[in-house]
Formats: sequence, C-alpha cells, structure tokens
Amino acid sequence: MMRRGLIGFPIVALVLAALALFQDSLGVSLFYITVLATLFFWVAQATSWNILSGYSGYFSFGQGAFVGVGVYTTAVLTSKHDWNFYLTLPVAAVLATLVALGIGAVAFRVGAFRGATFALLTLAVPFILASVARLSSRIDGGQGVSVPVPDLPEPLRFQQFLYLVMLVIAIVAVTAAYAIQHSRFGWALAAIRDNEDVAEALGVATFKWKMLAIAVTGAIAGVAGSAWALQFGFVQVEVIFGLTVPLFVIVMSVLGGRTYWVGPVLGAAVIVLVQDRLAGGGFESWRPIIFGGLLAAMVIFAPDGLWARLKARPLLTGVVGGATLLALFIVAVGDVLDRIVLAMLATGVAAFWPQRLLPPQLRRSAPAPLTAPAENVPASATTSPEPAGPEGDAPGNGVTVPRAGQDAPVAIECRGLARHYGGVRALDGLDLQIRQGELVGLIGPNGSGKTTLVNLLSGAVRPTRGNIYVAGRAVTRLAPHAINHAGVARTYQIPRPFESMTLHDNVATAIMFGRKPHGLAEARDRATEYLEFVGLERYSAVRPADINLHQRQLLEMARALATDPKVLFLDESLAGLNPAEIDNAVEVVRRIHSSGVTIVIVEHLLRVVNQLAERVIVLNRGRLLADGDTQTVMRDPAVVDVYLGKSGRTVPANDAGSEHA
Amino acid sequence: MSIAQALITGAMLGGMYAMMAVGLSVSWGMLRVINLAHFGLILLGAYGTYQLATSWSINPILTIVVTVPLLFLLGAALHLLYDRTGLSEFTSLLVSFGVLIIIIQLVHNVWTADFRRIDPAINTYGTKSWFVGSFVFPLPRLITFVLGVVIIAGAWVLLQRTFIGRALRAFAEDRDMAAAYGIDHRRLGMLLAGASGATAAIAGMLWAMSFTLVPDAPFEWIGIVFAVVILGGIGQVLGTLAAGLLVGALYNLAAVLWEATASLLVVFVAIVLALLLRPEGLFVRRAGPGRRRFWSRRPRAGQSDSSAEREVTAQ
Amino acid sequence: MRVRARAYGSAVAALALILAACGGDDDDSAAEPEPGTTEEGEATEEPGGEPSGDPIVIGSTLSLTGAFAPTGVIHQIVGEQFVERLNENGGLLGRPVEWRLLDDESDTAQITPLYERLINQDQVDLVLGPYATPNIIPAVAVAERAGYVLPHHTAIHAPLLSYECQFPGWSMDPQPDEYTSRLLFDLLGGLPEPPTTIALVTNESGSTQPMTQGFEGGGGMAGIAEEYGLEVVAQLPYPPGNQEWSSIASQLRDTDPDVVINNGLGVDPVGIIEAMEQLDYRPGMFFSLFPAPGPLLGLGEAAEGTLSVSLFEPNDALLEQYGDEVRSITEDFSQRAEAAGLPYTAFETQATASWNTWEILTRGVEGAGTLENQDVCDYLVENGVETTFNGQLTFDPEVNNFWDSNVGIKQIQDGEWVMVWPEDRAAAEIVPPEN
Repeated sequence: MMRRGLIGFPIVALVLAALALFQDSLGVSLFYITVLATLFFWVAQATSWNILSGYSGYFSFGQGAFVGVGVYTTAVLTSKHDWNFYLTLPVAAVLATLVALGIGAVAFRVGAFRGATFALLTLAVPFILASVARLSSRIDGGQGVSVPVPDLPEPLRFQQFLYLVMLVIAIVAVTAAYAIQHSRFGWALAAIRDNEDVAEALGVATFKWKMLAIAVTGAIAGVAGSAWALQFGFVQVEVIFGLTVPLFVIVMSVLGGRTYWVGPVLGAAVIVLVQDRLAGGGFESWRPIIFGGLLAAMVIFAPDGLWARLKARPLLTGVVGGATLLALFIVAVGDVLDRIVLAMLATGVAAFWPQRLLPPQLRRSAPAPLTAPAENVPASATTSPEPAGPEGDAPGNGVTVPRAGQDAPVAIECRGLARHYGGVRALDGLDLQIRQGELVGLIGPNGSGKTTLVNLLSGAVRPTRGNIYVAGRAVTRLAPHAINHAGVARTYQIPRPFESMTLHDNVATAIMFGRKPHGLAEARDRATEYLEFVGLERYSAVRPADINLHQRQLLEMARALATDPKVLFLDESLAGLNPAEIDNAVEVVRRIHSSGVTIVIVEHLLRVVNQLAERVIVLNRGRLLADGDTQTVMRDPAVVDVYLGKSGRTVPANDAGSEHA
Repeated sequence: MSIAQALITGAMLGGMYAMMAVGLSVSWGMLRVINLAHFGLILLGAYGTYQLATSWSINPILTIVVTVPLLFLLGAALHLLYDRTGLSEFTSLLVSFGVLIIIIQLVHNVWTADFRRIDPAINTYGTKSWFVGSFVFPLPRLITFVLGVVIIAGAWVLLQRTFIGRALRAFAEDRDMAAAYGIDHRRLGMLLAGASGATAAIAGMLWAMSFTLVPDAPFEWIGIVFAVVILGGIGQVLGTLAAGLLVGALYNLAAVLWEATASLLVVFVAIVLALLLRPEGLFVRRAGPGRRRFWSRRPRAGQSDSSAEREVTAQ
Repeated sequence: MRVRARAYGSAVAALALILAACGGDDDDSAAEPEPGTTEEGEATEEPGGEPSGDPIVIGSTLSLTGAFAPTGVIHQIVGEQFVERLNENGGLLGRPVEWRLLDDESDTAQITPLYERLINQDQVDLVLGPYATPNIIPAVAVAERAGYVLPHHTAIHAPLLSYECQFPGWSMDPQPDEYTSRLLFDLLGGLPEPPTTIALVTNESGSTQPMTQGFEGGGGMAGIAEEYGLEVVAQLPYPPGNQEWSSIASQLRDTDPDVVINNGLGVDPVGIIEAMEQLDYRPGMFFSLFPAPGPLLGLGEAAEGTLSVSLFEPNDALLEQYGDEVRSITEDFSQRAEAAGLPYTAFETQATASWNTWEILTRGVEGAGTLENQDVCDYLVENGVETTFNGQLTFDPEVNNFWDSNVGIKQIQDGEWVMVWPEDRAAAEIVPPEN
C-alpha cells in the first residue's frame, strides 16, 4: 500500500511536469500553467497545514508565519545579498522550521495551550513576527524588497519555471503527508488527535511527535513560501504576515477533509479553480461571503469533508461528475477549465446532496447494527476460559509467572506520595508497595483518592510530594509515556478509546508505542491476538462507537495489555455492567493476571474484589486505612465502618457501581 | 511626564478592550462558545452608531437605544445557530470565524471600504478633555472607561447576586447537573448571548466615538482582545476588566519607553509569559475545590474528563 | 464573458444554497448595485456613436476590496469616467474601448496570476497598472515578460522599477525623499518666521518609512533636515494600522516641535491631530504625506492649516487657469463619486494620477497609431505625452521614466484643500501658523 503510493507520486509528477515542458505542442495555454502553479502552491500549503492541524488536531492560525518566513528569507537573501535562489530554499526551510519549533517548544509544553487556546496563540504569531521584522528594519531596509527572477534554464519561460518549482514542492509535500499517514508517525498523530492524554498513557511520546509534526509543517510551508516570493515580486512586511494564508488553508482543508492526505489536495483544487473562474465575474464582493458560509456550513454539516463523502458515494459522484464533464465537452461550454470546474461543482453537489433527498434506489441501505446486545457475551470468552495468552513475549514478563508473596520483587512502590488540589488533600502521604504477580484490590469511598492514586502512579498527574518507583527505578517526574515504557499501564473508568480508529487499530496503536516499540506492519499483524485474548476479535473492524459499554471496557483492557505492561491499573473496569458481563470481565482479568501481569484493580463492587483480589488496600480521605489479605481487611471494623457505615451494611453491589455510571 | 500620561490614557483605552472582551469571555466560559463573530457584532455596532448618529444628527451615545436591542437579538440568534447545530467549543471557533468574514464583507458592501467617521459637529466629545493638574483625561476615553467599568462591574454583580446569575454559573460548572435542577439552558444561553451582543453594541458605539471606521477593523482587534480574555481568565468578568486596563497601560507604556511598533510585541510576549506562569489567567485565584480550571477542559475529551474531575471536586 | 459569469453565478449559488443553509443573514443592501463591482462592460454597451469595429480591451486590476480599497474605488470611478468619455469622442484608433477590471483584493499575491490571466487568457490588447507600489511591482514583472506597455498609478519606489515600458502616472522624481523634503523645507524656509525644530512621526509601511529614513541612496527627511538647519527633536515610528495615538501625542507635546511631519497614510494624521487636541496641544504646523483627504477635513477647525502633497486640487483659481474641459472632468467625477456613496468626492491627487495614467496609455496608442505594445513604448519614450492636468511629460529610461515631478503642496484653508506651492501653480498663499 505504502510502496504503491510512493511509486505513484513520481509518476504523477512526471506527467504534470510534461504538461509544462511540452506546453506548446500540447496546446496548453500559458495561463493554465500559471493557474496550476498557484494550485500547486496551495496544495503544498494546505498539505503542510494539515500535517499538524489535520492529523494531530492542533488547529493553527499561524500558517502565515511560516510562509512569511519563507517568502522573506528568499526575498532578502536574493535581492540584498545576491544569493542564488536555489540556495535560499533550504535556508527558508530551516528558518521556518526553527520558528515552528520555537512555537512548539512554548505551546506543547503547557497543557493550557491545547485546543482552542493553541489556535488563538498561533493567531498572534504572525503579528509578533511582523513587529520583529519592522523593529529591525535593517532586514529589508524598511521599504520592502523586490525579488529578482533567477536565471532560467534555457527553453523555460518564467511561468513554466515557477510551475515546475511549485510542482516539485507540492509533490514532496503530498508524498510526505502520505508517508506520514502510513507510518507510525501518522498513527501517533491520529492518537493525539483522538485523545492526547490516553495516547500519552499508552506510551506515545506526544511531545516529540507534535514537535516533529510542527517541524514538518514549518519546513514545507517555508519552502513553498520561498518559491512564492518569485510570484510576489515585491515583499513588504504588511503584505506577508496576514490572515489570508491561514484562512485559505483552513477553508481548503476543512472542505477537502482533514484526516486524510487527499483532503487538502482536493480542497485546494476546488478553491483555487473556483476562485480563478470567479475572478472578473462580478462576484468579488460576494466571494468572502461564499467562503465564510462554506466554512461554517462544512463544519456544521459535513465536518468530515469532501473526500469522505466521495468515498461514501463513489458510484453516484463518479457518474454525476463524469456525465457532467462529458456533457459539457459535447455542448462545448466555456473553455476546458470551465468544464472541469463545473463538473467538479456537480460532483460536489452529488457528494453533499442530503441522503433523504436521494431517489430511493440510490440510497445506501442503513448499515446493519454492529452492536451486539448487551447480554450477548462474546462467545470466545465463555467457551474457552483458559486460552493460551498471546504467544511470545506479548503480555507479562515471560513464561514463568513469579508467585506473589512477600519475597517477590517490588513491581511498583510509592513513598510519601501526596497530591493537593488547592486546599484539598486528595492524597496525603501514602506509602505503598505492590509486588510482582500480585492482584490487588484498591477500594475506598467516593473521593477517597483512588483515582488520584491511579493518576499519580500512571504519571497523568504530578505529585505535590513524594516519590514513585517502578521496579526500583525512580519515575516520579517522568512523562506518562515514559512511565508506560517503564511497564505501567492503565484503563479508564469511563472508556476512552480512539474513536476514529477501529478496535483493531486501537490495539495496534498501543502495540506500536508500548514498552517495546514495534513497527507498523508488525503491530497491525499482532493486534488481533489481543482482541482474541479479551474476546473482541469479531469486532476487529468496528469502531468504538458501535460497541457496548462492556465491550468498550474490554477494549480498554486489550489496549492497555497491548503496551506490554508489568503492572496494570484497572480503574473501575466493571462499573455499570450487568451480572453476566461482570462474570465475563472477572474471567478476563484472571486471564490477564495469570499471563504474568501484576494487577491493581480499583473497584466498588466488593463481590468482585472478594472474588479476584488476594490483597486489598483501603483508602479513606487520601490516607491508607487498611492493607492486607482480602478476608482480613474486609472484616476490619474500621473498613466496614468507613466503607459501608452510613447506609448500613447491606449496600447492594450494583448500586455502588452505578454511582459512577 | 509622558510616561504617566501614557499610562492614564492607555488604561482608559483598556476599558474599551475590556468592553470588547467581556462578551467573548463570558460566552467562552459559560456557553463554551468561542464566538469570533462577536467582533463582527462590535463592527456592526460601530457602523450602526455611525449611521444613526450621522443620519439623525444625534449624540452617538443615544444610538445605543437602537443598536443594543438589535445586537441583543442578533447575538441571541447566533447562539441559537451554535446551539441547535451542537457545536463543540472548538468547532464554534471555526463556524464563528466564517460568520465573522460574512459580516465584514456585508459591512464592506453596505458602507464601502472607505474611512467613516462621525462628524465632529455631532460627536462633540471628540477633542474635549478634562484637565486635572498636569494630567489630561480625554473625554471619549473617560466615557469609555467609566461605561466599561460600570457595565462590567454591573454584569459581575448580576452574575453573583441574582438567581439568573447563579443559574448561569451553575450551568457553566456542570450542564447536566444544572439541567437536572430544571435550569433551561437554551433560554439562559440565549439570554447570555444576547447580553454579550448588547455589550458588543456598546463597545461598537465607544469605538465609533473615538476612531475612524473601516470594515477590516476586527482583524486589528482580535489579537489584543483575546489577550485580554486569556489574561483575565476565561469567563472571569472582573478579571477581564483588570486585564483590559493592564493591557491598555502596558501597550502605551511600551510605545513611550520603546516605540509604538513594539507595543503589540510587548503585549503578546507578556501574554505568553503570563500563561506559562499562571495558566489559569492572571486574576484568577489558584484553582480550589469547585472551581473548574480551563486547562482541564479539552475539546476532544468529552465527558470522561469531567467525571474524573468530579471525584476531585466532590471532596 | 458575461454569459460565463452568469453560468458560474448560478452554479455557485446552487452550491451555496445547498451547503449554506445557515447563510440566512440576507441583507437587503447587499442586493443593491455595489460600486465596486457593477457592470464592468457598461461603457462598451453604449458606444457613443462614432467608434466602430471590435472593441479594444484594456485590462487592469484595482483593489476594490481590502486595505487599499478606499483609494481603489477612486481609480475605478476615474477609469469608468475616462473610458466613457473616450468612447463618446471616437474611441481609440476609431474603435470602441472596453475596460476589463479585476479585483486584486489588496492582496499582492494575486497580482501576478491576475495579470497573467489578463494577458495570456483574456488576451487583452493593453494593460494598465494597479494602485500602490507593492501591487505595481509584480504587475510590472508580468508586463515585462509579455512585452506590454504598463502605465501605472502612484508608485513611488522609482529605483525598483527598471522596465523601460513602465510609465508612472504620478511622479515624485527618481528620489522621492529628496524631492519631498526640498519641496517642503523650501516652502517652510520662506515663511516670515521659519521653523527651526521638527518631529518626524513615521508609519513603518514600505511606502512611508523610506521617506523619513531615505530611499536607497537618499538621505531621507531626517538627513536632509539637517542641511536646512532644522533640528529633529523627535522621531516616532509606528506600525501600519496603528489606532492608539495618545502616547505619540503626549511625546509630541513634551518636545513641542515647530512642525510635526507625519510621513503616514490614510487616517493616521486624523488620529494624531485628534489625540493632540485631546491633550490641548497644537504644534506650529502639521504636515501629512499621504492622508485620506476627506477625514482630515472632517476634523474641522482642528485640522485647519494642515499641509500635504498634491498633484492637483480643483480650486476655483486653478480651474480658471485650466479651462472648461478640466472643470467638466472634475465635476463629472464628483457626481459619480457621490452616486457611488463616497464620503469625499473632490477630484484630487489620486484621481489626477489615474487620469494621467489613462492618458499616457491612450495618447501613446494614438500617437503610435497601433496597438503594438513595443511601438507604443518607443513612441512614449521618444515623444513623451501631453497630459490634461500635468502638462507635457517626458520619459527617460535612465531614471526609470520617472518624469520631473510637479507635485506641489496643498493646505487646508477654511475647510478646503488649497494648492499653495509652488507659486506658479498656487491657488492661494500659504497661511502661516498664528502664534
């Protein structure tokens, strides 16, 4: 797949290059060459933007900054310092990348800069750069610089030259986007987009990948900007660092579709060609209104973009587009570009035409419900209670499962661990040791600090005080992914799958980035084993939205297990389940434990704790209340008092569980 | 001398930024909508004031009798759009960006791109000032400042003391819980969005009274106004006011001590630093129980975050 | 063209309807004919009788939207007026003229593709430049590649325009900072009480910053002022689009120069004067380089006495001098500007530059007797051109065709812009500061 694509791009590039090189004999107007050069520029820009903002979801209004750095670098170096144009391309890429990394180093370090705040921060960047450029007017002498045209290779005209330069940049950009999407890089970004915290907990080094993404974005934008300087001809601060570029790339990518590499290409094609055809048609004062309306309408009604719609209706859109094109050529309306644009518009209408307004025979039958009924426990779970775990080194520490006991080595340990929220002491000085091979129950009333403890031990929250050791190694200040790599994994009380991925890919992501990194192909091959292990293999190709709560919780376990942990925290993985599902889940937990993974299970259902755990830890008000073997602790009057006190001693297990449902 | 004077006039202008920012901040904090179209409403308010004051030859301040109700309705109508289409915090940013562009172009089509100013014969405050010792308080600035402080402080009192205010804050803390207590979020939301629209009308009037109008003005506002919103703490009414005054003063201080070109740079660097040191905003007490911190709201995380949070806040 | 445009209109409208169910903000006024975009071909549809044959198509772009639009619309009105007048008077080479005008949206990046489109796709016979230096330079590059003559409006960066077939419709000499400084300082030096101190308040845009600091090779006003024995007591730069003037005003008040020189654009001087008024401060004199003329007059008494540069002002005394044709041109323009809803309707510098530009192109064609661009170019370089407003212009490729400037100085007197300098073209004498 990847290889096929990578061969395809150079072929496309050669065909397109031939269009310019043999322009006269092919009868292609010089003007089309200009339009296509513009198109290639925007393809490169939209693709560049999409690598950061589409793939990883970090929406940026700062594209103009990278482009501006590129334009300015080439303009100043060629005109003021007589540099060779070609030499300025890599310099522009490097400078734009440095600016990008600078933004990343500030923005990605701080949790506050996620989502909308990141977008707003990037809004300021072009203004900051403009101020800097003005304050140091020595850069351009204050009056702006005119960009000299480089010596052209002999038969080439300027338009053809620009076309070829832009073509090369666009092809490189699209190839990069394609390669990223089909590699671990792209998977990491998709995981970040779907849920950054979970990605981090599953071992994805989110900071590193985001920095890489913004660097690629900056480099491509810078190089394309560098070539764009030739088209500008004259460069002034106020014309470069504006909002036009970000507006265009955002509209293009949103229109085409942000999660797939083709999306920005399609979006750029539609916008550039329509914009060109509209020029001089008397619509100038309506164009921003159309663009603004298009952006709003796309986000509201079709956030997945044109490409997704085309894929959903390949036949209809293909027939409509082809027929329109054919008809327009027969009737000979306008020129070639007119016909192409009108056919594109017709295809777009077919793609976005509301489902319910389609004639019945063209409607897609509603997809069969994929969700199994809640009581339908996956077959494999009941039929094979003791399946062999995934072969090889997959879960756990190897073939010999160390027996839990006082003499087993310590798996995870905390000393004096505390976490305060304002004046509230969610956890207040906890000492704890979990030994290898144990299956420990962690209980306590609401707000006793159980989830805080899991958050601290998995690195999601930094402790106010105290230290954490995994297998004797201090991990207190490590990022969650590093703690995961040290051998700690967790699940979430309310499942947080990567919603855009199938179950199979959810697990594959965890395999790829877990304790022992794996390649993409290998991870995808092995994902099924983990789904089988928890009995979800039938749903391999299904998305998380289409399975029930129990199955989502099993997915959480499969995914955590796929990172190959030594210690696994299960945070109320059984909450909200019916009795049959609970039995199945208990079975799965046992199976995980017997494959050699140390388990700490946070649970409200005392029945489950009784059934599973050999040892129970009770927290109350952020402190350790009791710690010992299950039977002893459960009979401890202090525990009984705190845990069941207020509502008597007969709280039905299910009620306790449903508090969190 | 000019330093002190610049601080005074800057802080007074800060009242305008605060006025522009407060509606944004409240709809971001309480309605979870980042309404870039708010800048469009301010623009409409400014051109509305210009048009009414010019064609009826009335005091520009009086024009809010017309523009406030109109923009109240428009603000509420826009919220209806956001609400009915179920936008997330983040997608609202994109949709409202589209709306902003549409509004700017409509203003352009109606009033042309040419510069518009209220005739000084009508806008009699334009060049008048109060003199206190050697300090000067230009009248338009003073009006801006006083109106800004009064309205924002009034809004704060309303939010703190009235039932509607408490309902709104409950709604901002936890929508589901508020709904369970019978708070009608749709009507409340429209009321709040309408009120934001009304503040946009007043901010627009103040702008038209002091400055020349061009349709592209919102792009000049976005950066500095969001600086005020973020510095003040999202949804924090008084914080917005304080941040507005601070940013205005800082802006002018940079102009006097360095040069006017550096003002925006200084303000933005200050924001980044402030956010690094105090991510919750300058004027917000450190997060305690029951107080939601904005970094914990992630657009993509869905409900799972709030439940994890709930365990903490419940203690 | 129109059929195609309409076909697109319906297609796009259909798409927009389907997609933008939310675009319900229907604004009545938006449906009104809009000054920026009305009937580009109107002039050709009512040919004035005599011209016959296929129309000659002249292509150009103007900033009808965006930051340059306030001035762009002036050039649009002048162009429409000029073409109409031309067709009424027999057209060009006996053929009717059609103006194909595109909107560059004040976006420099669009200039190149739009001019490529005009020349290579629409294959217009002749082209005219856009407005404003940053837009003119890329347009010149396209014209040069295609070998087209390109007369253009209001470029001041003479050294950057080396194509021999580009012809400026307005000129401040090859060295604008030097020219403007001497023009202004000569005038001031002749006052009964010549000023001794100046403050330079400079917009850091590429068109104004070099006026203070010097274009390539020039000393700038800051340097030339010293030659005239003027002391620069304050240098206050500010960014384009600046709105907050109180800090600059208070610094001006503190330094109290005899003349405040604002090398600024658009409404910059309005903000500065207003902020100074608020501080109850007035400098001896105030000069503004490229102001929007209307808003300054709108300030009333506070702006009285303000100086600026001008190619032409429709002052009665000058109109007497120029005669009926000029009077009818300026009156016609004012009516059109009013109809288009412009707040300031006088035919002044920008309109004059635009008129010059059209005359350079059309008279060059008439003189050469052909549409061959190279011949037109040669003719213009050889013979120059006689213009209605600025007399005989001669073009010397050695100085990039920037003709000897006759830009003068105007002053606001009794709420009107009046030419006051140089003496031979003055409609009135300069009113010196009171004190």
